[in-house]
Amino acid sequence: MSEQWFERDPQWFKRAVFYEIHIRGFFDGNDDGSGDFRGLIDKLDYLEWLGVDCLWLLPMYESPLRDGGYDIANFFAIHPDYGTVEDFREFVEQAHQRGMRVIADLVMNHTSADHPWFQESRADPTGPKSDWYVWSDSDERYQDARIIFIDSEPSNWTFDQQRGQYYWHRFFHHQPDLNFDNPEVQEAMLEVLRFWLDLGLDGFRLDAVPYLFEREGTSGENLPETHEYLKRVRAEVDSRYPDRVLLAEANQWPEDVVEYFGDGDGDECHMAFHFPVMPRMFMALRREDATPIYEILERTPQIPRNAQWGLFLRNHDELTLEMVTDDERDYMYEEYAKDPRMKLNLGIRRRLGPLLDNGRDEAELLHAILFSLPGSPVLYYGDEIGMGDNVYIGDRDGVRTPMQWSGDRNAGFSRADWAQLYLQPLMDPVYGFQAVNVEAQLRTPTSLLRWLQRFVALRKEHPVFGLGTYQPLRAENTRIFAHIRRWEEDVVLCVHNLARSAQAVQLDLAEFAGMVPVEMLGQTAFPPIGELPYLLTLAPRGFFWFQLREGE
Amino acid sequence: MTTLDAPELIRYVTQQRWYGAKTRAVSASEVLDTVVIRSAEPEFALSLVEMRYETGAHDIYQLLYASHEGDVRIDGLAEDPGLARELVSAMRGGLTLQGGEGIVEFRPAEDFSALSRELGSARLVGAEQSNSSIVFDESLILKLFRRLEPGINPELEMLRFLGERGFENIAPLGGWYGYTGGPLGATLGILQEYVSSGIDGWELALDEIATAPERFLDRLRRLGEVTGQMHTLLGSDPSDPAFAPEGPSVESLGLLTATVDEEIARVFFSLPEEDEVLAPILGRGEEVREQLRLLAQAGSTGRIIRTHGDYHLGQTLWAGNDWVILDFEGEPARPLVERRRKRSPLRDVAGMLRSFAYAATASALARGIEPPEDWEDRARERFLAGYFETADPTLLPPGQTAVERMLAVFELEKAVYELRYELDNRPDWVRIPVAGIQRLIETAAEIA
Repeated sequence: MSEQWFERDPQWFKRAVFYEIHIRGFFDGNDDGSGDFRGLIDKLDYLEWLGVDCLWLLPMYESPLRDGGYDIANFFAIHPDYGTVEDFREFVEQAHQRGMRVIADLVMNHTSADHPWFQESRADPTGPKSDWYVWSDSDERYQDARIIFIDSEPSNWTFDQQRGQYYWHRFFHHQPDLNFDNPEVQEAMLEVLRFWLDLGLDGFRLDAVPYLFEREGTSGENLPETHEYLKRVRAEVDSRYPDRVLLAEANQWPEDVVEYFGDGDGDECHMAFHFPVMPRMFMALRREDATPIYEILERTPQIPRNAQWGLFLRNHDELTLEMVTDDERDYMYEEYAKDPRMKLNLGIRRRLGPLLDNGRDEAELLHAILFSLPGSPVLYYGDEIGMGDNVYIGDRDGVRTPMQWSGDRNAGFSRADWAQLYLQPLMDPVYGFQAVNVEAQLRTPTSLLRWLQRFVALRKEHPVFGLGTYQPLRAENTRIFAHIRRWEEDVVLCVHNLARSAQAVQLDLAEFAGMVPVEMLGQTAFPPIGELPYLLTLAPRGFFWFQLREGE
Repeated sequence: MTTLDAPELIRYVTQQRWYGAKTRAVSASEVLDTVVIRSAEPEFALSLVEMRYETGAHDIYQLLYASHEGDVRIDGLAEDPGLARELVSAMRGGLTLQGGEGIVEFRPAEDFSALSRELGSARLVGAEQSNSSIVFDESLILKLFRRLEPGINPELEMLRFLGERGFENIAPLGGWYGYTGGPLGATLGILQEYVSSGIDGWELALDEIATAPERFLDRLRRLGEVTGQMHTLLGSDPSDPAFAPEGPSVESLGLLTATVDEEIARVFFSLPEEDEVLAPILGRGEEVREQLRLLAQAGSTGRIIRTHGDYHLGQTLWAGNDWVILDFEGEPARPLVERRRKRSPLRDVAGMLRSFAYAATASALARGIEPPEDWEDRARERFLAGYFETADPTLLPPGQTAVERMLAVFELEKAVYELRYELDNRPDWVRIPVAGIQRLIETAAEIA
């Protein structure tokens, strides 16, 4: 019954602003030191105020938590720290009542080694689950598949003493890959999807989706069999669950990622993350040169009419540098990860605030670029107040510290004892909770939080940002990233100055001659566009968004 | 019973006054379920009809049919009072009727003796936007909800809650009927006593400002008492989750203030500069925001409870010897779930206080009669005196100062909304919110 709170709208996700939540770190509703669904319910008013349309939850399932919950031990149960399935249902209901949808992470590729399926599979090589995982007598198969977690895993195969065979894992050795060649596994995963959709969930972010199948002589990524299975998943969702969304996590080049949208109007995932554009925004900012952004967008193929890119600045993982060249990676490390502790795998484990040296202009500029690109932006919890990170904590936990609600004890995150907290909130003088918190920023009209709330509202007033076409507007001055978005009668010109100095730019706007650019934040009309190049001057790291209106 | 085909349905529904989506293009229409209310001639039936729009969105409407010898008439409430009488008699009998996808349950309210009477004349009440109402014998009123939203209708919920607890200043609930099934669960209609002798509170205010201003002030004191009693009752039952008073969330005051602050900034940003009426507040946006910040240091917003939700003089009746509070549906343009949300009772109070400002100006504008000087101040004083006498203080912020500050924040919220609305719609009325905002700038300094 949950979908009744919304107008039926099969394209809602194309206009939506997403907000990614680490449940453990958001708010502790039962004073045990860990965030939970009761706590999330308490903070829905805040999220509604912020204006986000869809909440994306990191994994919430029963898990030994050796990989932040991406190691699922029971697909049909909520991790006890977070509450119960009933709490989850209540949360979804309450979010829906406030006009927000909810999607959740789902890992189809693998399970935790603790999952009863794996236990059964390793215990009985002839039993009903014997073939549910990828077993082999040799660790020589599929040698063309790369190792992803190069910092911790020497091989994609691990020997299991109990069964006396190797099992296949694309990620940690405690996360065996399911065998999707087995029809029972395919069916079991559809049952998992149905279970949560029946509870009212609005969709899934499908984790690690390129790796479902293995084939000799291939990289084991983006195989035709994987796409075939995703089409089956999509057909199941479309036939029984209208207005839901499947969001693919495929950290690949755009030309490979578009395959995940499927054929025709789109018959696989509704959305996929655009990974490579992300590091290029940071690169462009540091180099004060828009070329990397222009280039990656040029390299981005058209996508089906009903599909959408998911765009982000930061998320719960490291800032991934898999989709850049070696030179570019060296540059990024050099500029953004001066301390080797900040590196992880092929990436940088830092939050947005510290990456931008706490620069307010930079934060606004990057959000402006993010919000102006074709796709739906995904915000990461805490980045709306410019929270920091803790590089001294292992793996990716440094960017998963408690949300800083106020200057009170435990950052207002929990009433448990300090020592009981799953992670301690930041206390440093720059990003610590005394300096950076929701309460203070709510009260301060000029804060980043208040600015972002206005900016989200502005973007949502203009469907062009979600639905419109993208037309680059390269100027001689390469420090400027300018482009046109167009949808029906709405034409928007976005101009961003990546330089830390003031810049002038001449834009060729001849095709819009006679129209008047009206700056969108302040509704100020600029001089009309003529036949000559249009001259604009921008403040350091400044930007303009104009709506082009017909002249008098 | 024969039902209509899609083009006929679309043609009919889109032409009705209660049809809410006049600007939208309908792509399809479908009868989701039909329940026969009376199978003997003339036959009566009720349908849930879905209108689908080109954008992919949809609405569900309630339609009634009367069929006489195969001749089907949609609604026909005006022509055929028998149809409406049939609905009331189904309530009296507590019928449960089966449809294809769900059931319709008719229920009588307890201890409502008027329901047992035979019904005589029936007339359709005109000029309603989203519902249809039929008055029987000038003593009962049946209200049909047309556009259906999932969930219990707040009007039914509030009347039942207040009635069961002995609140006398409402028109008592007589019965209701609702649908439960596949398409949705929703209240379809309610029956209520019709207060035929009542005078609309707004009209009475305008009349008596001219003829007997002192008498009206006495009535306002009583209205304050009644309002306080209503809130006390609404916050009295911790065992009913829909009504149990709650503590506001930690951020609630911050979120409210930020929202009002943004609205002030937006409205003042675009104020036309030449308008003389705006002179008292022109260029004072920052001052207003500063006052808001001071007021918001109230510390606590008090408890949140179910409230009237759209409280002003137009929602009251003077029934000869006391006030009757009407229309618990909440702000009609807001979604149902939002209208059922708990809020500070002071929001209702602020709504009523703003309504006094409107009455004073309307008297001058519409009737050409200037109210006595200080009338609005005294109206506020009297109403609040009555209110604080009966309202449960544990529902309010602790201490008089905190109450006054919160009240001022809610009044400011309303006045800023009014300012934007009147600028867009009724330039003559702009001076009302202007005066309200001016008053708040000046008094905020005293209470902040």
